[in-house]
Amino acid sequence: MIDQLGNGLLLGIIISVASVALSLLYSVTRIVNFAHGEIIALGAIMTLFFSNPVDSRVIYLDRFSPLGLDFVISAFLAVILCGVFGGLLELILFRPLRKAEVGNIAILVVTIGLSIFIRHLYLIFATGRVQNFPLELERRVTYLFFDMTPRNFRVLIAGIIVMVLIGLLLTFTRIGKAMRAVRDSGELASISGINSDNIILITWISSSMLAGLAGIFQGVINDIRYNMGFLILLLVFAGTVLGGIGTSFGAMVGGLLIGIFVQVSVAFPFMEGHIEAKNAVALGLMIVILLFRPQGIFGQKERIS
Amino acid sequence: MNISAKWITTLVLTFSSLALVFVLNPDGQLRILANLLTFAGIYALAAVGLNVHFGLTGLLNFGHASFMGVGAYVTLLLIPHAAGREGEINENGLPFLLALLIGIIAASLFGLLLGLPAMRLRGDYLAIVTIAAAEIFRLLVRDLESITGGVYGIINFSSALQKYRPVFFDEAVISLDLAPAQIWVGLLSWISVFLVLLLLKRLSSSPWGRALRAVREDEDAVRALGKNAVWLKLQSFMLGAGIAGVSGVFLAFNYGFVETTIFIPLLTFYVWAIMILGGVGSLTGPIFGSIIFWAIISETDKIASLIFENADGQQLAGVRFMLVGLLIMLLMIFRPSGLLGKKEELLLNVK
Amino acid sequence: MSNKLLEVKNLKKTFGGLKAVDVEHLSFNKNELTSVIGPNGAGKTTFFDLVSGFQQGDTGEIYFKNKKITKTQPYKISRLGLIRTFQLTKVFDRMTVLENLMFSGSSIKNDSFFQSILNTSSSKKYESDLEERAFEIMQDLNIEKMSESYARELSGGQKKLLELGRSLMKNPDLLLLDEPLAGVNPKLAEDLLEKIKNLSDQGITILMVEHNIEAVMKISERVVVLAEGKVIAEGTPQTVRSNDKVIEAYLGTAHE
Repeated sequence: MIDQLGNGLLLGIIISVASVALSLLYSVTRIVNFAHGEIIALGAIMTLFFSNPVDSRVIYLDRFSPLGLDFVISAFLAVILCGVFGGLLELILFRPLRKAEVGNIAILVVTIGLSIFIRHLYLIFATGRVQNFPLELERRVTYLFFDMTPRNFRVLIAGIIVMVLIGLLLTFTRIGKAMRAVRDSGELASISGINSDNIILITWISSSMLAGLAGIFQGVINDIRYNMGFLILLLVFAGTVLGGIGTSFGAMVGGLLIGIFVQVSVAFPFMEGHIEAKNAVALGLMIVILLFRPQGIFGQKERIS
Repeated sequence: MNISAKWITTLVLTFSSLALVFVLNPDGQLRILANLLTFAGIYALAAVGLNVHFGLTGLLNFGHASFMGVGAYVTLLLIPHAAGREGEINENGLPFLLALLIGIIAASLFGLLLGLPAMRLRGDYLAIVTIAAAEIFRLLVRDLESITGGVYGIINFSSALQKYRPVFFDEAVISLDLAPAQIWVGLLSWISVFLVLLLLKRLSSSPWGRALRAVREDEDAVRALGKNAVWLKLQSFMLGAGIAGVSGVFLAFNYGFVETTIFIPLLTFYVWAIMILGGVGSLTGPIFGSIIFWAIISETDKIASLIFENADGQQLAGVRFMLVGLLIMLLMIFRPSGLLGKKEELLLNVK
Repeated sequence: MSNKLLEVKNLKKTFGGLKAVDVEHLSFNKNELTSVIGPNGAGKTTFFDLVSGFQQGDTGEIYFKNKKITKTQPYKISRLGLIRTFQLTKVFDRMTVLENLMFSGSSIKNDSFFQSILNTSSSKKYESDLEERAFEIMQDLNIEKMSESYARELSGGQKKLLELGRSLMKNPDLLLLDEPLAGVNPKLAEDLLEKIKNLSDQGITILMVEHNIEAVMKISERVVVLAEGKVIAEGTPQTVRSNDKVIEAYLGTAHE
């Protein structure tokens, strides 16, 4: 059980970071972004692209020569690239759609098309093989009660630090406040001198950087595949919804809870021999929560008036 | 664009896409055409069902694959079949039509179950719930190997449907150098498409259809006028799911087997692409949307070979799905009313 | 006391500590045209939402035709004959004006799935009667020329008329009108006010929330003033107009 809890924390931190990113984007733009998973995968794939050693026998992106950069530098570059990618998506695709007053549902369908498109672009150019970062194997060490590799432990700590930073940024910085203003009322915000276009652009960039980071975490803890983002996307939705869609704090906790729940559920008596179905349990939990508390655990009932 | 221009464009596009298939394939044209039209019929049926949900009622259903799956699994398990790793044979079973009926009812009930969250949820939440529920269904089917055959799936069920093939039909099809089994499935699915469309034509112009459209437009107003919006939504969910169930059954018969990877979310997205291409809310749209869609899909190999020399299986699949994704995006951006959708009834700003 | 159509007791609703509605007792009599007024955020729309079942109160009871309707689903309240409209007009945008009206008037039985499949001669007859009734109402409201237009093509004022007409298809006993004049041009507003007065004269009990004080004073038989969720005054337009509290809370600010 304790083992599962440790695994749960690791999965939880991935989902949590990704959920915060999704929730941030949703709260400011009202876009339910199905292509979020592909940005997650981009973080991992780009990190691999930069870090794959020159003399490696594992040739990943077959068509490109390996660069062999340091892993941390690669991860850093990948996160920046994800941000650029998110920004481009806003500038090229979503801003024009918003200006054309395309409805939210239509945009949701666009993100689905985008998701399918990008994912299979990865399949073609990054191949369908399961890959790992060029990192040495490590032994598990005990931290408090949890057995995990030092590297995974560092990921966990890094994840927690990132969360705290986001919390602080959202609460205390001008941009964080402006984001909340745009979220509450775009029109009102623009009257009060906030350029909501810029805020939305910044939101896209920061959401995508976070998603990319989540993808790198996932790559370290598990592995890298072209569809890794889509595989985890529903759990990210579950985390976001559980915490209350549109609340960043809720998404953090919700994501963590979903991760723990998925891994711990393996230890439930009725799950014996049904480990493959563990995601089903977490998704089921999400649906039940939505039935009885649509606003999630931390979300507030929207005032109707 | 006026109505006749819309129709002319649609017909021209449909026939030219089929003609393109003819031109691009010097050999075995008839076989390729038969294959694509069979798939087109099956998917058109699924898109018609989805149109009941989204086009008529505005329900954002992204779990369509599970309705098709429930229909297929329930029906196949009720007729003689073999399932699981050992291919355990179950010779006893119900006659096909009875099993199909139960399969349809099961799919409808699953629609009812999936519709329950829709009672309280806004559109985008419903999208998440339905896609999640469909994944739960798929994971459970994969997990319950003793009943569903799990990853090994179900096989050897085809004769339950194929035994009704008339002799003259076989002779005619064989004389064209085509496979009677597939043509039979294709024929039956197209017949189903037309029967279902007849039913829907009647329903969508009826008071019931009017009520569903009102729900699509504004649930609060529907409630304020003394109508039970929840029950109307659930009915829509059941009808569309039942139609999808039939489509799932034909899909299984066309493959000759079922296993859970058939009912992945991409199947749902295929059906969405077809519905949007044909025109959201248009009754006959899915027919043309499906034919054009499958004509494009069947030619992806040619498209891929333009990009890659000696494309491998992965690249072929990649190009095919990229096209689907691109199609969905471009349609939604540049022509959200598709081929035959009414611009005035476009679901652009659904909340 | 049989004259009471709607009675509200001890109705309270708070949003995160903020009292939106806090009404000790209010009752509305048959055939009366009552207006509820008050400054922005006085809880008028919330009060309507509570009465029509669209929101649940924290405490309190609501009676309609001496029947308790607290915690009853909106559609069930509506079926009892209490029909409301919305501050932000809720017409069925992508349906024609005629369809809007016919949907409203259609019975549950007529709407049913199987009835719709069978399409018997009696249901055809029902539909044509419905259409006739819809045209009568459209003529009455001067929107019969728009019968085949999509509702979203109507102007703001015409949408208000359509919403009113749609409510009338239900033959309501009590009509709750939430700002029927908002966003309506002055000329049409006058017509609309006249219509509302006529409906009241025809015996429909009307309860209306409206910002246009002059209009309210002109046609209302009784005025209820809400401020911060509480009833601060009620009575004939004349008495309310001269009430100090009202002048302070509402009229004073409105005339600034």
